Amino acid sequence: MPRPSSAAWTLRALAYTFFALAVFALAGPMPANAQEPTRLAVGTTADVVNLNPLVGNSRSDTWVTNLMYPRLMQMSANGQKEPYVATDWGYSDDGLTAWMELRDDMMWSDGEPFTADDVAFTITAVTEEAIGITAGLVGGSFERARAVSPTRVEFDLTQRDGQFLTNMGFWMPIVPEHVFPEVGQVSEFANDSDWVSAGPFVMTSVERGQRYVLEAVETYPFAPGGRAAVDEVVFRVFPDVNAQALALRAGDLDLIANAIPPAIARALSADPSITLVEIPALGWAHMQYNLERPPLDDLAVRQALAHAVDYEAIRRIALQGQAGSTLSSVISPVLSFWHDDTIEEYTYDPERARALLEEAGYTDADGDGFYDGITFGLLYDQAAAEIANWAQIVRDSSAEAGIEIELTGLERNTYLARARDRDHDIYAGSWSIMEEPAAYLDLAFRDGGFINYGNVSDPEIERLLDEAQAATSPEEALGPVQAIARRINEQVYDNVLYYQEFQFAYNSDRWEGFVPQPSDLLSLVNPLSLASVHPVD
Amino acid sequence: MTEVTQSGIAAEEVQAPADPSPRRRTWRAFRQNPLGMGSLAVIAILAVVSAAAPLIADFPSGYGEEILVGPSATHWFGTDELGRDIFAEVIWGGRISMIIGFAASFLAILIGVTVGITASYAPKLDPLLSMLVDVSLALPVLPLMILVAALVGPSVETLVLVIALFSWPEVARIVRSQALSVTRLPYVDAARTIGGSHLWIMTRHLLPAVAPVIVVAVVLTASRAVLSEAGLSFLGLGDPNSWSWGKILYNAQRSGALTIAWWATLFPSLAILLLVVSATLVSIAYNDARNPKTREA
Repeated sequence: MPRPSSAAWTLRALAYTFFALAVFALAGPMPANAQEPTRLAVGTTADVVNLNPLVGNSRSDTWVTNLMYPRLMQMSANGQKEPYVATDWGYSDDGLTAWMELRDDMMWSDGEPFTADDVAFTITAVTEEAIGITAGLVGGSFERARAVSPTRVEFDLTQRDGQFLTNMGFWMPIVPEHVFPEVGQVSEFANDSDWVSAGPFVMTSVERGQRYVLEAVETYPFAPGGRAAVDEVVFRVFPDVNAQALALRAGDLDLIANAIPPAIARALSADPSITLVEIPALGWAHMQYNLERPPLDDLAVRQALAHAVDYEAIRRIALQGQAGSTLSSVISPVLSFWHDDTIEEYTYDPERARALLEEAGYTDADGDGFYDGITFGLLYDQAAAEIANWAQIVRDSSAEAGIEIELTGLERNTYLARARDRDHDIYAGSWSIMEEPAAYLDLAFRDGGFINYGNVSDPEIERLLDEAQAATSPEEALGPVQAIARRINEQVYDNVLYYQEFQFAYNSDRWEGFVPQPSDLLSLVNPLSLASVHPVD
Repeated sequence: MTEVTQSGIAAEEVQAPADPSPRRRTWRAFRQNPLGMGSLAVIAILAVVSAAAPLIADFPSGYGEEILVGPSATHWFGTDELGRDIFAEVIWGGRISMIIGFAASFLAILIGVTVGITASYAPKLDPLLSMLVDVSLALPVLPLMILVAALVGPSVETLVLVIALFSWPEVARIVRSQALSVTRLPYVDAARTIGGSHLWIMTRHLLPAVAPVIVVAVVLTASRAVLSEAGLSFLGLGDPNSWSWGKILYNAQRSGALTIAWWATLFPSLAILLLVVSATLVSIAYNDARNPKTREA
């Protein structure tokens, strides 16, 4: 609590305010008032764009809608799927039928039971209307869903797909069939009033760009006592992370939903009333080389690029040590089951990069210090603080190796559009959750894949992907998945720089009992966490 | 204002040999104004420092081990979130800020003066050009600048063009109103009577008459352009490959250093403040010096 200093006499009015507050504080805490609702204020930097959980895909969208529309499974710290609403699941022997058992005590907040019909409705809508990334993850093999009983759903598949259940279980929020419109109009549904929730909270009011208020529901079986300990959760939008951190320190916010930039984390860690929680990312930050832009189709050039990045400086300076190495593999060590620690890590070695380029016949005829024709644009999102920082380190360390990198830091929407059109030499970005290798490798490295920013088209990888996806158990998929990662590493299709240790901050003078979950998508604002958090006694 | 300038112009045309020329009288009056001279000195120092940046500090690149450390003997202005020297960033940033400021101002003046003089000299074009100026002045400049810069992609050239494209209407309006009063003077009619071409009349008789206004406009437009550049860079639309004062501020905001490292924002802000205030004071002092009423006072 700041105290008025003697020099502050000009701010007399302010001093009086502080004095009044001090007296108030000395008088001791107010007796707990039964009518006074407990309220948790959560800060986000971006506004909620879409309240339809099937359509919304920004982090803010997910944080808010996660509290109302449950996913069927949850994720452990190493990315494995665990029971949540679904208690058990599996595949038939031929792999063409999948089944899932659900809890029997789930209710929607309007009193309707949560049943297998809701699950069947949701997946039918998602696949028929091809809504969002979920459709991409499950649409390929899904044929039909049947609610055989209120607590059991069966899915007919067109082909063996060992990732179908876990992809759907984690990535697809379930929406109420009795509230949402019929299949065909679901993606158009704005869901901007009269919300119905099967999570710990239900939204009661929305002020776009300002605040989103959610109240506790009485029927959430996962919370101790069947109800969240706080009465109200308020998401407040702070467009600037600096202002957000100030609000947390001033006590206007109780929790910041987004990960804290390293510089602020350092300052916040000195504040005794604020606790920082470290959560490893399930994704990674990387650069992808566009193979359709010569000379990036030349393996030697890509290898030279990989040896021209000062990885250590990026992790230590740009990320302030809050990052780990994935051994240049597209499977981070956080995914302990899948990770392969025998892959050879790229090292920063400008001499070797030069040697590789010279061996491949590149020269510096014009004497400008860069090999001729070895000039690349590096596309990134100017607003992503960490990436913008390490992009500069990449440029400077590449220059040491005679490689010219031109930074193309763009405004977010322009950046996304350019990446979507594959209008870049080198793409820099980061993934939030990459937990199911067979699924994400397919999106990122199959020819025409949704996020194949390198335009990779490699028959060997496609063959291994088919093999991994046909496997109905993780053990069976392990071999091909690791082989894909090895091939990507050898061919430098992707250069993974680090996985981040996210830092999240909350006011620990007031609150305790958060349940951290992996990645910045779940972090401290996941439904279980906000249902469990309670005021410090 | 108009009358005053007219008398100045009239004096110039007469070229009384006994009297010092208006230019010299203006300069003498300007020299006696300490605020104007001081500001001119500040601008000169900033320009010299920017031009001599390579001699003063290394181009800020790479990274340093001391992250967000306050001002010290080794880092006069402290360090930023990658441990780079903010003093060097401000010095090198001044280069780009001033280059953009003057290039954009030059372009804006070029367009503005052309449009302004044409409008004043050609009565048939005047309504059209005036409407164009009015419409341009009514546009919401910042959102449009952001839109264009975002679509085209950030670079120094983009910034110069964007800022110039949205700064010329004000110049055009001032020049037009100034030139309008001159086109009705007898000597312009005389020039026309002796068979002077339109271009000759516009460049040899109208342009000199509005020159003082242009001088003021150059200085003010340049300082506004520096501000616009800082604004666009602060919004993340600056050139990622070079330094500018706005970019230092943007880096501080983006990395979260805004509230924890005062030095990361104070020094670039001071540089912007110094340049803009000096430019404004110089133009005021010049105006005063040119004006016989204030000159004699």
